[in-house]
This record gives sequence, structure tokens and C-alpha cells, in this order.
Amino acid sequence: MSGRARVRARGLARSPRAAEVGRPQASPSPPSVDLSDNEASSSSGFVGTKRTLQKDEDGISSGDVRSTFMERGVKIGRNFMDLGICTREKLAHVKDCKTGSSGIPVKLVTNLFNLDFPQNWQLYQYHVTYSPDLESRRLRTALLYSHSEISNKAKAFDGAVLFLSRKLEEKVTELSSETHRGETVKMTLTLTTEVLSSSPVCIQVFNIIFKKILKKLSMYQIGRNYYNPSEPVEIPQHKLSLWPGFAISISQFESRLLFSANVSYKVLRNETVLEFMTDLYHKTGMSCFTETCEKQLMGLIVLTRYNNKTYRIDDIDWSVRPTHTFKKRDGTEITYVDYYEQQYNITLSDLNQPLLVSLLKSKRNDNTEARIAHLIPELCFLTGLTSQATSDFQLMKAVADETRISPLGQQQRLARLADSIQRNKDAHFELEKWGLHFGAQMSLTGRVVPSEKILLQDHICQPVSAADWSKDIRTCKILSAQPLNKWLVFCSNRTENGTESFVNCLKRVGSSMGFNVSYPKIIKVQENPAAFFRAVQQHVDPGVQLVMCILPSDQNYYNSIKKYLSCDCPVPSQCILARTLNKQGMMMSIATRVAMQMACKLEGELWAVEIPLKSLMVVGIDVCKDAFRKEVVVVGFVASVNPRITRWFSRCILQKATTDIADCLKVFMTGAVKTWYKYNHSLPARIIVYRHGVGDGQLKTLLEYEVPQLLSSVTESSSNTSSKLSVIVVRKKCVPRFFTEMSQTVENPPLGTVVDSQATRSEWYDFYLVSQAASRGTVNPTYYNVIYDDNGLKPDHMQRLTFKMCHLYYNWMGLISIPAPCLYAHKLTFLVAQSIHKEPSLELANSLFYL
Amino acid sequence: MPNRRASRNAYYFFVREKIPELRRRGLPVARIADAMPYCSADWAKPVSTPLTRPGMLVPKQNVSPPDMSSLSLKSDQALFGGVFYFLDIFSHGELPHCEQHFLPCEIGCVKYSLQEGIMADFHSFINPGEIPRGFRFHCQAASDCSHKIPISNFESGHDQATVLQNLYRFIHPNPGNWPPIYCKSDDRARVNWCLKHMAKTSEIRKNLELRTVEDLIVGIYQEKFLKEPSKTWVRSLLDVSMWDYSSNTRCKWHEENDILFCALAVCKKIAYCISNSLVTLFGVQLTEAHVPLQDYEASSSVTPKMVVLDAGRYQKLRGESPGFSHFNSSSQEQRSNISFGDYPSGVKTGQNSSIRGRGITRLIESISNSSSNIHKFSN
Repeated sequence: MSGRARVRARGLARSPRAAEVGRPQASPSPPSVDLSDNEASSSSGFVGTKRTLQKDEDGISSGDVRSTFMERGVKIGRNFMDLGICTREKLAHVKDCKTGSSGIPVKLVTNLFNLDFPQNWQLYQYHVTYSPDLESRRLRTALLYSHSEISNKAKAFDGAVLFLSRKLEEKVTELSSETHRGETVKMTLTLTTEVLSSSPVCIQVFNIIFKKILKKLSMYQIGRNYYNPSEPVEIPQHKLSLWPGFAISISQFESRLLFSANVSYKVLRNETVLEFMTDLYHKTGMSCFTETCEKQLMGLIVLTRYNNKTYRIDDIDWSVRPTHTFKKRDGTEITYVDYYEQQYNITLSDLNQPLLVSLLKSKRNDNTEARIAHLIPELCFLTGLTSQATSDFQLMKAVADETRISPLGQQQRLARLADSIQRNKDAHFELEKWGLHFGAQMSLTGRVVPSEKILLQDHICQPVSAADWSKDIRTCKILSAQPLNKWLVFCSNRTENGTESFVNCLKRVGSSMGFNVSYPKIIKVQENPAAFFRAVQQHVDPGVQLVMCILPSDQNYYNSIKKYLSCDCPVPSQCILARTLNKQGMMMSIATRVAMQMACKLEGELWAVEIPLKSLMVVGIDVCKDAFRKEVVVVGFVASVNPRITRWFSRCILQKATTDIADCLKVFMTGAVKTWYKYNHSLPARIIVYRHGVGDGQLKTLLEYEVPQLLSSVTESSSNTSSKLSVIVVRKKCVPRFFTEMSQTVENPPLGTVVDSQATRSEWYDFYLVSQAASRGTVNPTYYNVIYDDNGLKPDHMQRLTFKMCHLYYNWMGLISIPAPCLYAHKLTFLVAQSIHKEPSLELANSLFYL
Repeated sequence: MPNRRASRNAYYFFVREKIPELRRRGLPVARIADAMPYCSADWAKPVSTPLTRPGMLVPKQNVSPPDMSSLSLKSDQALFGGVFYFLDIFSHGELPHCEQHFLPCEIGCVKYSLQEGIMADFHSFINPGEIPRGFRFHCQAASDCSHKIPISNFESGHDQATVLQNLYRFIHPNPGNWPPIYCKSDDRARVNWCLKHMAKTSEIRKNLELRTVEDLIVGIYQEKFLKEPSKTWVRSLLDVSMWDYSSNTRCKWHEENDILFCALAVCKKIAYCISNSLVTLFGVQLTEAHVPLQDYEASSSVTPKMVVLDAGRYQKLRGESPGFSHFNSSSQEQRSNISFGDYPSGVKTGQNSSIRGRGITRLIESISNSSSNIHKFSN
């Protein structure tokens, strides 16, 4: 594994927030629609609802969650789709109680706030029809709101569906208004549903209410989060400014509705596209300006501050000027200059700038012609960081210092937000109108499960810190390793010396950890990918145990060599960047890590933890999109094949699909069970599957499509007693954060903290586990949802077993944030999706060849 | 070392499968090599059609081809001499919500027969035309992660009508029936669309029959062994990376820029794969027109401890050889090429080029031809 890959893997395991801050936001929010600057469109946040259907539906449906969605045909956010799925009621052993009891109780503060409302609180949903029919949502809203009986009430309206906090007198209300053209429009309001507070529809309405409230606190929605442009954090030396903000959601937890907020930052560059262009022009000169300009700007995300929306630059139109005209939606022609003058009161200074082109996302999924938007470079601010900037250590440090805020900082920011929501008069009024009350920050009791011992060949080690036990096991022998007798090293002429000393280092390190490494055959190759590739082809034969390549640079070499050695000629391979070997002081620690990886690639076992269950198979599943072909999904499956859970069977397949749902699990599972049988001469009594990489709204598909595949292979594999199966969904992205209160200050919770009450959901068998240490910033708990469970393990045991699994990732001598088989599966799919693009050879399935 | 590797052909896998049975029969077989003599009789039986994975199969002269006499070679003649054309057209991505679905930018075509291997090839860059407004980033990104052909300011692109005309002259030089054209099934939609689109702009109406290589392989296999191979086998046969860096496989531009995605390389690799997997089953000696053998012979003089490989010098040499001048973008030469009348621009036939071989043989040839070239190898 190259240094690059290791950094990535470690980044994955240890700093989940890095990606959020460091990258430009890849997915621009769907722009257009709500230019909410007048009262009429104050409900414009309701973009997610389609105003169609329900034309012929008058009856008031019951409060059943899912049926209301399906019937009304309302397109709802994906994360709401999981809410109606109740898995817990089918699991008899946790029906009454899903909490564990072992471990030391610990008091935790959360980022959740109570949201109180009266007991019998409900929403009234009306369907509004217009006669004659009107297209403009703004007009529809304005006409409706002109009636005092509506406008005085707390309301949310998207053009067709109206939510009120109080019932109108009649089930069907008829109103009429006159437009300023003199037309009389009749509006019919029909009550369709009375929505209970527990309903997902209600949660969506709450989210809209809070959007309004945050606007009153001058926070604006960009993407999914809310930012405050008026209090930017400036980093002048790098021309950056950070907008502080929050990711906010309202959701139903165990017994109540909670408001949650997470600190987030928007990285903006204090540089408009026009300035960037001018700069570039002075640097490159006339001749190749357009070309370089296109190359550098294409694909960047810009923010237009007049409406706080983000767009991706898809093209540059050099032929259009701001003085040219375009057609507005009502058919009138207007120049760009005048438009910005009238609409936003902005005067453009440069009338000769070219215009940027952004492709607008089509709302409907039909094949209509793509719509494009023209943007003025002068008004577009660059966002995110360029790859050039991310490689600038000083800059990244400056950004991280601001964005990775400590638990204390986070706590202070939360307190300020809560305070301003409660104190701001407008915000308070809005809440009151709906009958809501913003409550106190919630605290709860978690438990810290006991730490684990690390078992080595002749030594049991109790690490000082579970986050990193590399020092504790430095002198210990690993569990088992095949001696490495016949292996090849490919290097370029320049790196010959470094290679030799590294190999000697490897031999020394290997022998001290019980891994015998003989002297390899070193082959010098010219420094180009073709030469490397051909040399590998010529010299690798079936007798070779392992191939090591000291690569002069990254991608080209790595991909072709990995592809060849994983598919065409299956031999474990170890690639190292030449510059890694130049770090003189680090040689020993690099050699240790490489030796461990090599031992794993030769089916070695490094360490183990105590597993009380005999005959348990643990499986990790992950999915990943192929880097080249977006329609191809790589599914990785890694299963343990010995009771000690130290050896793994890994398979991977590429499937054509648009969703991240796996197809071929039956084949994988059958293969894993067979391999288990081969080694143990019996079938595993229990199988626990950790499924990673599940998106919002896929829970139902998982239950109805993936679990049956796993089940059928398990039941088919034996006639009398079949293995018991559990399926657990693992998610690293979750809303709650937990902090421990120390004297006067707050800190990240200790390793092994489990939360299985209050912040969980009543309809699921779920828990949070903090299994990784964050050196900086706040730690992200990992969320586990047991969706299927035949094993009937006590919640205590399930939680502890999961914690044990987080110790077994052989690429990192410490705890990781997700169970090891999940990270193995992720590593496998990542390698295949980035480099190999095809199924690796089955001959490698028994080794961790992808580490 | 090469001897060892070379034993891993179809026969190797066949022998490996047989070993347990031989052991049961009480024969002393410890290694593949021991088992070889016992298996040759079985190998010749038509029933034992081995579905092997395509691996390192480049056979060596010193391994005598298995006895194929029990197979009727006569009926194979038609199949054997048959000429196929493999075609691929690259695009700057796929534009989903746009009338212009693809932007053709590179074309490669290979004339091939089982008997003779690659007989001629055709390659050209295509001027993709105007990129629809708003799709520049999309195209750029698609290009960057595959063939990396610049989407603008790329002088080598020829206009679509000319390219199509040249392609037609390549596959159909004489009046008569048009031969069937084959492409990979994954690319079929794209190639088909591009052909139609180019025909529209050039106003040449000629409906080429586009079939898939996968079906061709199934057909050949079926004709030979009277049973159908598995789809996965066919797929894995075609999807190998071992020829990725072979010399004389990519077009000059892609080779010089060291980019693996090349339309010509796709076609040539189809030919290599078919040669490697099927032609050996016919029991015919592979020539350097079938697979790039030379790359694999080059290492015969390695010293066991240290080896210095130099792949660059072949490329250097090739850049100067007249057989590769087809790429030259100077329009004057282009026109003069056409005016000779035999072959349109971008076409190169095996017979025509003065230096036919690849790699080391060509190197040796050229050394003997002109000693003045020698000083060029020293860098």
C-alpha cells in the first residue's frame, strides 16, 4: 500500500470531519426556484413537495405514516423514508428493552434540544385548488394569503398543500380573490389529513418552520446547512473566509421530538471569478488564456452572494456579455446589467466580462432538454479549496484551527444558538404561533464498556491507550505468519540504494515480530510505467509469494500493476512510493507497518481479541461507486473464516446498478460458509453481518432485498441446524454528538462509550458507539442499527462484540471507528473502484491482498 | 524465467486439473511438468474442451503444440481464413439530456483473421465538433478519466466526413459485400450512434452491420467445439490487462503521453485476446501478428540477480520508422498519402510497412539495416 492510500485509510478511520471541510462541496444544491424576498413566498422552503395528485381524494386519511406518504404522492426527503420502518417489533428479545447494563455509567451532554408542544398538538393539512388554474406559485401564495383568516394563522404553503396549526371551521372552505389584472380567482381549501405530531410529515413541517426561524437570525441555507454570512471568520493571509453555521435537523427520537445542531463551516474564497480571471490573464498572457482559464475554472463551485446559492461552472460563454439580453420567464427581454440592477440592486462594473454557464439540475426525471443558467463572474465567489490549496500545509492548518473546534467550542456555539433562538423576538413569535417551545439541551447517561486485551503469540497486552497500541506491542511476536522466501522487488535505478537498506530493515523488523523474510531478488527497471509493467509481467511466475514495487510516482504505475497482479496473474503485491523511503528517521516505523501488511497479504494473523462466542462468523459488506463508470457499483464482502476472527475471506463484484444495493450476496455468503467449513469442518453457529454504506431511505430495500439473500444462503447451506443470522447497519454519519462534562469544561467521551437510550429511536434496535479517538475536534459516534437478529444476543453482548470488532483492523494498531470487516470491505471496494475496475482473482480471496 | 511462465497456457491449466486423477492412478506426479506427458492424449480429445481463464499463455517455440489431429482441421478453414474487423470509437463522455448523445473523438479499427492475426489497422482522431453549451465540464471530466484527448485546441482531429470515408475505404476497399464489423458489447450503443452521426454529417449512407465481439467468440467456439462457452468466460477472456503496455498497440499519441485508453489499443487487444485464447485451441502457432510476442522474448538474456530493462528505446525507434507516419498531422502529407490511392490516411497494412515486427526483432532488423541508427539507442 502506498503512503497515499494509507493516509486515506487512516483518514477514514480517524478523522471523519476532514473530508467535510477540506473538499469543495461536490454536490451543488438545486438552484433556482425560491428567490424568497417577499412575504408571498415565505414558505418557499417547501421545494420538496410536488403539487400534483390528490385531485380526487377528499377523505381524511388516518394518521398512518407510510400510507399518507404513498397516497398523497408527496415527494419527501429520503431520510424520512426510513422512519416508517419498524424493525424492532419483530425482534422478540429486544421488544421490551434494548438497553444494555454493563460498563461504567457516564454522564453525557448532547447536541440535542427538547422541542416541546402541547399533548394533543396536531397539524391540519389542506389541499388548495384554484379556478381558473394558476401556474405561478408566487401568485397562488399571494392570493391565498390575502385572506386574513389564513394569513393570521401559523401556516406553511407550497402552492398546493397548506398546513395550518389550527383547524378552519369548515372541512371545505371556498375563498375568492381578485388579481391586479382584475381576474377573480376562486380557491377551494379541502381538509385532507389531520397530521399527528409523531408523523414524518410533521417533522418536515418543523424543518420548514426552523428554516424561517433561522432566517430571522440571519442564517441562510446553503446546500443543506445554514450559515451566517454576517459573522465570517477571516483568514486574510490565504484570502479565505469561513462562514460559521450549523447543520440542523428536527427528528423523532426515542420518545420525543428533538432539535439537533452540528457546527459546520462554509469555506469561501475572498475572490470573485472575475478577479481570478484577471489574475490569470496577467500571468498567462493573451495566447492561451481562454484555454487555461477553462481548464482551471471548469467544475468549480461558486457562490452568488446575492441569493446565497451555489452553482457549478460547467462552461464559459465567451460570446455573451452582460450587456446582452435574455428572455425572462414572462417573455420580456432584459439585459443582464438591468436585471441585476432591478432584482438585486447590484451595479455591474465590468461590462465586457464573459458569462459563466451552469447546467441546472432537472427537477423532473424526464428527458427534457437541460436548462442552463448564465452567471456573472463578477458576482460569483469561488468556494472550497483547490487541490493546490489542500496541499498547502500552512493553509490547511489555518483552516483546521478554525473548523475543527473542540468539544468546548462546540458546546459554546450550541449554547449561543439556543440562546438566540429563545431571545430573538421574531423567532420566538414564530415558534409561539405554532405552539412550540424550544427547550433545554438534553443530557443522558451512557456507558463505557470495558477495554479489550490484545492477544499476541506469547503475550497478552493491555494497551495503555486503545487508540494506539503500536508502542505496547513493539517487542511482541504476531500470531502467525508464513515465512517469505521467494519474492521480488522492483525499483528504479535511482532508488536502488534506498531499496536495499529498506529491505534490510524489513528483514530485521520482520524477524523481531516473528515474520521471516528472506532476501528478495531485486530487479532494477527504467523509470516509466511501461517498463515497470513489462518487468512485472516477465518476472512474476506462480512460485513468487509476493511482489514489492518501489514506485517513482503514483497513479499510473499503481493502477496497472495492481490490476495485473490482482486479476491476470494473482500474486499479492506491495507498492511503496519511493519518496516514503527517503524519510530517514521514520525507516523503522515504516518498515514495521509494511512488514505487518506483507504478513497479512501472505495470510498471516497479527493479533486477536478474546471472542467469547465459539463458532462465530463476522461479515462486513460495503459498496463503492466505480471511479470511471458511474453506473457501476462495486460490492465488497469480507467474512471471517476462523473462530478467533483473524483470517478473512474477501470477495468483490462489480454490478450495474444505480443504487447501492447489493445483488450477489447469496453467492458470497455461500462461498464464505463453504470456506469456513473447509477450515473448521463445521458450519458457523452464528453469523453477524455488518452492512456499511447504506444511504438514507434504503432501509426498506435492505430488509426486503438484501436480508433475504443472506438468509436463503444460510438456510440452504445445511439441512438440519442452520446458522443464526444478524444484520447490522453501520453508519458513520449521524446527527447526535456526545460530550462528557468534566469540571468546568466538556471533552470528547472516552473510548468505548455506548449510548442506547434517548438519542435512539423507539422503532429500531439501535445504539451509538464511540470507538475512535479524535485528537482534534469533536468525535463522531458510529451508529449501529440491528435490522435483523436471529441470534438473540443480549444488547450488552451485541454492543461489546461490536466494540471488539473495532480492534481487528490490521492496518492500524489501534481502535477504528467501524468494525474491522467493514473497513476491510471498504478497502477492497476502494481498490477495485479506483484502480482495478474488475473482479480480483478468487485465488487471492483468502488473504488481505488489498491492505 | 520465461520458460517457467510460458508453461502457463491453456494446456497448463488442463494438466493442473488432471493431476488429482493421475495421482489416483498412482502416477508419480509432483509438479505440473511431471504430469505433462500423461495428459497429451487426453488434450487431443474433443470432449476435453478446457474453459480456462486467460492467463499467461504466450506459448514458446520449444513447447510442441498438442496433437490436434483428431480435430478436423478442414472444416475450420472457412472460420480460419475469415476476416473480421474490430472497431471502436471513443467519445468525450455521454451527454444524457442532450440531443448530441456522444462527441466522437477517436476511432480505431483492425483487420483480423484467426490465421494471420492482425492484417492491417486504421486509426484516426476525430474532430468532435462544437461542444453543446453547458456540457464542457462534463466532457472534460469524462475525457480526463479515460482517453485524455483534449476537448479543444487539438489539431490532430480530422473532420468526421473524411474519417468516415477513410474508414469505409479501409474496411471495404473493393466492390462487393460489406464485411461485418465487431465491437465490444459495452461499446456497441456508442459506436453505433457515432457511426450514424458521422454518416449524417458526411451524407454517406451506408448501414454497417455492427455486431458484438462477444457473440463472435461464442460463434467461433461453438463452431469449433459444438458447445456454448459461458458468458463469464467470454467476458474474462476479453477483459485482461496484460497487453496494456505492449509495444505497437496504442496509437502514437496515446503511447507518447502514456495513456492506456486508446481506441486502436482496444481493437488490437481484442485481436490479442482472441488469438491468445482461441487460436491456441486450434493448435496453430501464434505469430507476432497475433500477439506482441517480442515483448516477452526480450528478456531471454537476463542475469539472474540484476536486470535492467529498457522499454523506451523501442518507442524511440518506432517514432522514426516510416511505417508509423500515418499519424502525422501535417495536411500536406495527409493529402499525398491519399493521392497514392492505395490506402487512405490513417491506414497501415502489415504488408506495406517496411518494418513489420515489434520490439526486439525490429530492433535487430533495423540495426542490421542501418548501423547509423545505433547511436540513438544509447540514450
